[in-house]
Amino acid sequence: MDAIIRTEGVSKVFNAGLADEIKAISAVSIEISRGQITVLKGPSGSGKTTLLGLIGCMSRPTEGKIFVEGKDVAKLPERFLTDVRRKTFGFIFQHFNLIRGLTVMENVMLPLYPTDIDGGQMERRMEEILDKLDLTAKRAVRVEKLSGGQQQRVAIARAMINEPAVILADEPTAHLDTKLSEDFLNIVTSLNTEGKTIVIATHDPLIYEKPYIDNIIEMRDGAVKEAALL
Amino acid sequence: MKGNGRIIEYALSTLARRKFKNFSIAVVFSALIAVLSSILFLTHAYKTETLKLLDNSPEIILQNMSGGRHELIPTEYIKTLSGIAGVGQITPRYWGYYYDSLTSANYTLMAVDENMRDIQLIDGRMPQTDTECAVGRGVADLRQAGLKDDFFLITGAELSVNLKIVGIFTANSAILTNDLVVMTKDSLIKFFNMPADKATDITVEVNNPAEVSMVARKIRRAFPNSRPILKNELIRTYDNIFNWRGGIVLTMFFGAIAAFMIFVWDKATGINAQERREIGILKAIGWETADVLTLKFWEGAVVATGSFLTGLILAYVHVFYFNAQFLAPVLKGWSVLFPRFQPMPYIDIYQIFVLFFLTVVPYVAASVVPSWKAAISDPDAVMR
Ligand SMILES: Nc1ncnc2c1ncn2[C@@H]1O[C@H](COP(=O)(O)OP(=O)(O)OP(=O)(O)O)[C@@H](O)[C@H]1O
Ligand SMILES: [Mg+2]
Repeated sequence: MDAIIRTEGVSKVFNAGLADEIKAISAVSIEISRGQITVLKGPSGSGKTTLLGLIGCMSRPTEGKIFVEGKDVAKLPERFLTDVRRKTFGFIFQHFNLIRGLTVMENVMLPLYPTDIDGGQMERRMEEILDKLDLTAKRAVRVEKLSGGQQQRVAIARAMINEPAVILADEPTAHLDTKLSEDFLNIVTSLNTEGKTIVIATHDPLIYEKPYIDNIIEMRDGAVKEAALL
Repeated sequence: MKGNGRIIEYALSTLARRKFKNFSIAVVFSALIAVLSSILFLTHAYKTETLKLLDNSPEIILQNMSGGRHELIPTEYIKTLSGIAGVGQITPRYWGYYYDSLTSANYTLMAVDENMRDIQLIDGRMPQTDTECAVGRGVADLRQAGLKDDFFLITGAELSVNLKIVGIFTANSAILTNDLVVMTKDSLIKFFNMPADKATDITVEVNNPAEVSMVARKIRRAFPNSRPILKNELIRTYDNIFNWRGGIVLTMFFGAIAAFMIFVWDKATGINAQERREIGILKAIGWETADVLTLKFWEGAVVATGSFLTGLILAYVHVFYFNAQFLAPVLKGWSVLFPRFQPMPYIDIYQIFVLFFLTVVPYVAASVVPSWKAAISDPDAVMR
């Protein structure tokens, strides 16, 4: 199977050289297959978020290589890293990380502001995504006024606006009840059928026990326990 | 609208989201600029008007000295003066000071002379008979008098003269005429009880400006008791006074700037957790470091230039429409040199530029620099 992302012996050390030095992950070698749904599973502190951040070009590994579409990004200068991040990845953060005080529309379009995309096109894209996520009625509402489930949908919409190939989600159901968690999974599977690659970090059985999960990567103490292809 | 335009738009919306913080900064900033540029406007206007006034004054003013004091000068000097090579027009002047107990103010009383007839800056006309006078705007205001009103001057215990105001100098000539009362030579001589063969001083024009100091030397030789005051020396003296006062102003100026820097520094180091988090989010969703810094630049630039222009306009209105009323107590010393008057709007662009570079530039820098650190660090911090 074609791997859109591949890591080779990746380690990440925080606060290197200090008294509170911590090795968050070590010697992680994994593959994420294009067009599949992959789950990073593991207990709290096992390094899921750290690995997700590395895959998504949010930071660089201390050691090892990370290939995105076959290109090693581990040593790319920051400008190019940003470029890869913008073009390839959409993030759904655990705490959504929406910007308070801005409306749903503003939050969703924010990633496109510095780009050269034309305003009309930007708005068409936004309208389409809001429609798909059932947010059109809330378009002019400030995000802090929304419920948790709605906020998550805004975060998904924002992750989609750049039309990324890969969607990364960190503990997406941590703050949702069962019904909303199922809603989230419905959105994700529909994105997947459109061809998007999905990576979800979670320890929620509701997610990793779903039959349509293609691949589970289990982590413990900063290392991959086993990689099982289902 | 694309890229940069949208970043500017977003900067404005960010400022609006932090209304309270930005508004209070803008108030302090505008107030500082208003005070500093009021001082700059005022001193510059004074200086310009004074130098303009001196420009019209005669090359040499000859005073008679006795015991180190200015005395009346015999008009018979004129004959000798006209014999000196290079000397042009010679004019005796009659004037003196008068303390008006009614309004507790000093007036300058002056006889109308040939040169003065040139003054166009008058409502009404110059006095022609011994019972007429023209007064400056300041005098008219103090006495609450207008054209055709009576004007009393009290000489001794019982003596007084009663004149009719036939002209009032316009505001445009304020620095020359504010405290002035002009009357005919005869009525002035009578009022001051001056001997018929003496004048207050004598003005001497010199045909060739290069010969002024030589002519002055010759005059001194002819009249050892006299003191020729040269226009050039006067200009230099005034320049020195302005520079000296300018020094005091400059000290205040830098004091204020220093206070402002502390304020800016305080704000700059105060980039809070929420702002840091927002920078992280922007980076995480695909903004480049340069985009974030552009955003911060515009946030700073909008507040700073907005406040700067507001302060400038406030200062302009304050100084040139409201007579610099709030500064008057601070700059009281100026009234030694000048009667209170409405300054004409002269502005030194160079000073405005200096003020701009000392305030707007550091403010914008202080908005950008602290964000720099947040903007160049990895955005994964926002993930936890
Ligand atoms: N920026 C950082 N600075 C210092 N230590 C960090 C940092 N990020 C992560 N760590 C540490 O690295 C280890 C792995 O953390 P990580 O957040 O990746 O785990 P996780 O599997 O996502 O856990 P959770 O389920 O609680 O989210 C933890 O011990 C954490 O304290
Ligand atoms: Mg985590």
